[in-house]
Parts: sequence; structure tokens; C-alpha cells
Amino acid sequence: MKKLFNNTSMYQLNPSMVRQALGNCSMRCPTSCIHAVDHERIQQVTSGHSQKEYYSMNKITSVRPEPVEGQLEKLLKCLLFLGLILSVYMLTLQPVMAHGEKNLEPYVRMRTIQWYDVQWSQQKFNVNDEVSVTGKFHVAEDWPISVPKPDAAFLNISTPGPVLIRTERYLNGKPYMNSVALQPGGDYDFKVLLKGRLPGHYHIHPFFNLRDAGQVMGRGAWLDIAGNEADFTNNIQTINGEMVNMETYGLGNGIFFHSFWALLGTAWLLWWVRRPLFIARYRMLQAGLENELVTPLDRNIGKVILVGVPVLVFAFYTMTVNKYPKAIPLQTSLDQILPLSAKVNAGVVDVETLRAEYRIPERAMKLSLKIKNGSDKPIQLGEFATGSVRFLNKAVPVPEQSNAESVVAPEGLNLDNPAPIQPGEQRTVLMTAADALWESERLDGLINDADSRIGGLVFFFDPEGERYVSSITAAVIPKFN
Amino acid sequence: MSANSSTRTFRPYTGEKARIARAYDYLVLVLALFLFIGSFHLHFALTVGDWDFWVDWKDRQWWPAVTPIIGITFPAAVQAVLWTNFRLPLGATLCVACLSIGTWIARIFAYHYWNYFPINMVLPSTMLPSALVLDAVLMLSNSLTVTAIFGGSAFALLFYPSNWPIFGMFHVPVEAGNSQLTVADMFGFQYIRTGMPEYLRIIERGTLRTYGQVAAPLSAFFSALICTLMYTLWWYIGKWFATTRYLKRI
Repeated sequence: MKKLFNNTSMYQLNPSMVRQALGNCSMRCPTSCIHAVDHERIQQVTSGHSQKEYYSMNKITSVRPEPVEGQLEKLLKCLLFLGLILSVYMLTLQPVMAHGEKNLEPYVRMRTIQWYDVQWSQQKFNVNDEVSVTGKFHVAEDWPISVPKPDAAFLNISTPGPVLIRTERYLNGKPYMNSVALQPGGDYDFKVLLKGRLPGHYHIHPFFNLRDAGQVMGRGAWLDIAGNEADFTNNIQTINGEMVNMETYGLGNGIFFHSFWALLGTAWLLWWVRRPLFIARYRMLQAGLENELVTPLDRNIGKVILVGVPVLVFAFYTMTVNKYPKAIPLQTSLDQILPLSAKVNAGVVDVETLRAEYRIPERAMKLSLKIKNGSDKPIQLGEFATGSVRFLNKAVPVPEQSNAESVVAPEGLNLDNPAPIQPGEQRTVLMTAADALWESERLDGLINDADSRIGGLVFFFDPEGERYVSSITAAVIPKFN
Repeated sequence: MSANSSTRTFRPYTGEKARIARAYDYLVLVLALFLFIGSFHLHFALTVGDWDFWVDWKDRQWWPAVTPIIGITFPAAVQAVLWTNFRLPLGATLCVACLSIGTWIARIFAYHYWNYFPINMVLPSTMLPSALVLDAVLMLSNSLTVTAIFGGSAFALLFYPSNWPIFGMFHVPVEAGNSQLTVADMFGFQYIRTGMPEYLRIIERGTLRTYGQVAAPLSAFFSALICTLMYTLWWYIGKWFATTRYLKRI
């Protein structure tokens, strides 16, 4: 067999010969995958004759191998199956409804920016209408050691592109345009003014970009922008008093200069491309005809370019400098805005976390809190908020002031002693925040973190609706059974 | 001697041979066009990146330093191939023209139609004047050394002034939020980029500016120095990757 295959390729084998050699074997692949036992049989068939004689005897010169039966059908079926899967996948595609907020490690969501009272001025409006988002946040004192301190943070809006534009932004009532340094333990309120640009239905969040740490999402809302995209206008006034349309400003000028240089570049390319190029020039160069490849006229044009292009560049540059004499460099700075007077941990109600246990089977966080009521009215613990989740105590009416979405466990908060804490009283309370949201919001992942500590805000209410907010933090001890 | 003898015996292609050689030219040109549009654009987007994407990143320190240093790479390599083997002084212009085509396609379709940014916010810079001069220097000097030093320097030094006519008007001052900004900064503030917080911008960071309060010329000369080195490096990369062995068989 080796002899046969060494002397001739399989493309020269008669199919009948191969079939004869293989008998009833169904695997008639004409390549090296023929079974060893069949090799022997082929050798027996061809033994006793030289290869030339054998071919002559069978009147063959060369033949192509037969296509493998069913192979094409199998391929088609396979492609059909893949197409079916792709079709089902495409038909069931859903718009993205989230911004990856659950992917951030729980300790970052719980112990960095603690958002509350996020409010949108309206959720249905037209192109060119203004909408504002306001709210508050507390910068956790127990900032994770693995997250860089918020020395540079940027209050941003998560949008699918600039479907809205940001016209103004305030932190603690002060307008600011750049990034800002935040202080752990500080309380801030914010306001961002936006203007509808592209009609559509969008899920929008306020959020903070934290340098070297990532994004911490605030509460989002669905916004519906109606109207016509073409109606959008965005004019700003320069210091010189000129009104500028931001949608088109500088576009025509930019296209003009790009086109101008593109024309010159194209002319230069065509100047060379019009002649025979690669093979012809290569042969001429090898033949020593270099002088004919670059002619004196080419050289003169090169000299014109060498002088003319820089002259044009500096002429255009000088014209622009004269046209915009008050042009300034790009501006960048880090704004320093001091926190508000304490809103969280304001000293009226003091809370100390003694112990935190997370019971995995029950999906329940049990926090032992030592609470001292320094106010002159009895208070009740009505809410615990951490990450993006709010656990509410159904026994305490919590005024809902926010139209922003939040993930709420309406009966998720229980106390071992629900009685109001009297003025001046200090009490240790076992607070249980239990709900499947710990898992579905991927907050229970903190038991796998290197820094498995919890942080959040607890909200107390007195009978008159006055609210006291405290920030709590503790190491979490998991309970597996 | 051999060159002289081959010159005497050289017979240019005529008829069918000439037509086939010309068809080959066009084939290579079309392939080169798509190759450089894709590869140079990708290279540029991954290295210069935001400095070329956004109008509010085009500062006077990093932008004129980074862009020519990266922008001279492919032109040098392609010049090495086209000039050494074919005496074609169009490598730089060809590359930069392809880059411009790719960039404009991306800005219009990816940034404007797909992500809704106004095109004026993502206007690309141009390096065509620099490329034309680089090609001219190579053709006139026929020298790697001269082209690297003078052409490379010119490539960098011409970049900022050739782009100022496009971007100068975006540096007009605006008062907003109790502070002074440029129109370009306002683009960055107003047109929301979720993944582009302001602090990510690298605007005049470092100590390069501390010479008579000028940043752009200093940056351009620094870029010119590096461009001479980058040109040489990429010239040899071009020579290393290119081959004409198939032509020798013709």
C-alpha cells in the first residue's frame, strides 16, 4: 500500500478500484484515513502488476475522487441550524435596560457615593425643553481602601449618547463645569439642567465618574422626549458677544480646509498615479533609469511643494490668529466645593453599628445598631438604603418624594423592638433587612470581596415627618446555615 | 557598469504586457487604499485616540506632540517601500490621505449617525500639508538621513499651524458657570459622554510649558525631535516587512 501511495496520488486511483479494495466499507475517503486493514486489501488487489500495467489494464489515466456522499447535505443542515439559532436570537433581542450598575463590586456601590432624594423635574417633555435632576448624596466615611479617594470626581449623566445636552450643573448651589474633589463624610446636593435633543424613550441616571474607580450610578428614570430632532437649537454666547450655534459651529470651515488640503494631496497622488507604477518603475530602477523615474519637472513641483505648502500653512495660520485674536487655551481645572453642613450624621441621632451578619439562606442582613435619640421627639427607623436598594419598614410611613426609580423592598425592614425611641433614649436595636434583592441586585457578592464591609444610610422619622439620616458601616460576617 | 549595460538593453513593456502591468498597478493601488484606510486608521485611533476624536482634547501641548509622532509611522514605512523600490515619492501623502478617508468615515457614521455627536465636535485633524512636504523632501534629497531630520521635523512643526485654521475658532472664550471656558470646552460639557469625564482629559499636564509661558512651539519642537527618530525607525520597519521578490520573477 505504501508503495502504491508513494508512486501515485490518490487522484489517479480508479474509483472502482478503491471500492473493490475497500469492499463494503462505508468510509470511502480517498485520503490517508483509509483503514489499515483496507490498505492491505488494496495492496492485494494491485499485487502482481506494476502500477503502469494496472492502469493500462483498467484503461485509466486519471480520475477525480468522488465527492463524499452526504457531506454537502450535512453542511447545509448545519448552516440551516445555525441560521435558525441566529434568527431566534435576533427575534428575541431586547433593548438594553441597564447600565451595568450591578456589575460594580457591592462595596463600591455601598461605601462610596450614597445617593438619596434623587428627583426629576419631569419625565415627558419635548425637544428643546429643559429638565432638571436634583438630589443629594453622602460621601461615605468608610471609603474602601481599594478605591482611590474621590480627589477627582465628575458628576455625569448616563445617556445613550448626547440625546440630551447638559446646560448647567450645580453642586451645593454653586455652578461648576469641571471635575470636583469630594470629601469623605461630606454631604452634597446637586442639580443638573438638561435640554432635550433627540426624541425617544431613554433610561437616564445621574452618576459619578470616580477617577481610577469607575462609575457609581444614582437612581435612574425613564424619560420620554417628543418632538422633532430638526427643531433642536443650541446657541451660546461667546465673551465677545457673538452667538454661536453649537450644532454647526466651525463645521463648514473645517470641511473647507480639509477639502483644500485633500485637493492638493489628491493632485500630488494623481500626478504620480497617472504614469505606470510598480512593475514598470521597478524594472526601470533596476535598469539604472532612475533619472527618468523622477523628471526635472517632478523635482520642480517638489520644490514648489517644499516652499509653497509651508507658506500656505503659515498664511492660513496668520489669518486665523488675526481673525480670532482672543483665542485662549483649553481650560481645565479641579473645582473645590466644600461640603454642606452635615445632613447625614448631623449629631441629632447617633448610630453605631455593633455587628453585621449576612444570613445567606434567608438573604437577610442583620445589623445590631446602638441608637441614641438626641432630638426632642420620639423617632422610628423607617428605611435602610444601600447600593441601589431601599428596605422599608412598613410600620413607619416614609414620605415618598422621589420620582426616580429605586429598587424597593416595601416590607424588607424589621426591628426586634419596633417601639419609637424616645428623646434622650439610647437603645440597641437588631435591624433585619431581608429580601431576595440582596441576591438579584448582586449586593450579596460582598461576602466574596476582599473588603467585605457594608455601608448604607438609615433614615429615622419623628411623628411630624422630620427626617434624620445616619450613615452606618460595619464588617459583614456571613452565616452559611 | 552593469547598470549601464542594462540601461542599453532595457526595453519598456508595450502592448498586452503594458496593459497587464497597468492593471496590476490599479489592483495594488485599490488594495493599498483599503489596507491603509483600515490599518493606519486603526493604528491612529488606538494610539492618538481621544486627542484626535474630540475637539476639547486638542490642547496646545499633548495634541501637537502626540499626533505627529504617531502620524509619521506609516508614512515612513510606506515611503521606504515605495521610494526604495519604485522611486515613488507619494508614500506619506497616500497614507495620510487614506487615514483622512477612514477618519471621516468613522466620524460621520460612528460618531454622528450612530452616537449622535455633532460632527464639528469630532472634526479630525489634518496631516496632509505635513505629508506633502515629507514626500517632497524625500524626492528632492533621495536621502533617509535628510528626510528623517528635515522632513520629520517639518512633519511635526507644520502640524499645529496647519490645524489652527480648523480649530482656532473653537478656542474663542465663553463665560459659563462662573468660569471661563473655550467653545471646545463647552462641547465637552454640553454633549454628554458617559465614559469621558472631564478629568480624563490630558490638557497641558507636565512641565513642558515652563519656558516663557509657551506650550505649543515647545511641544512642536519636542515632537520634531521624536519624529526624526520615529521616521528612521519606521523606515526600517517598512523595509523589513516589504519584499519585491515577486517582482523579480516577472
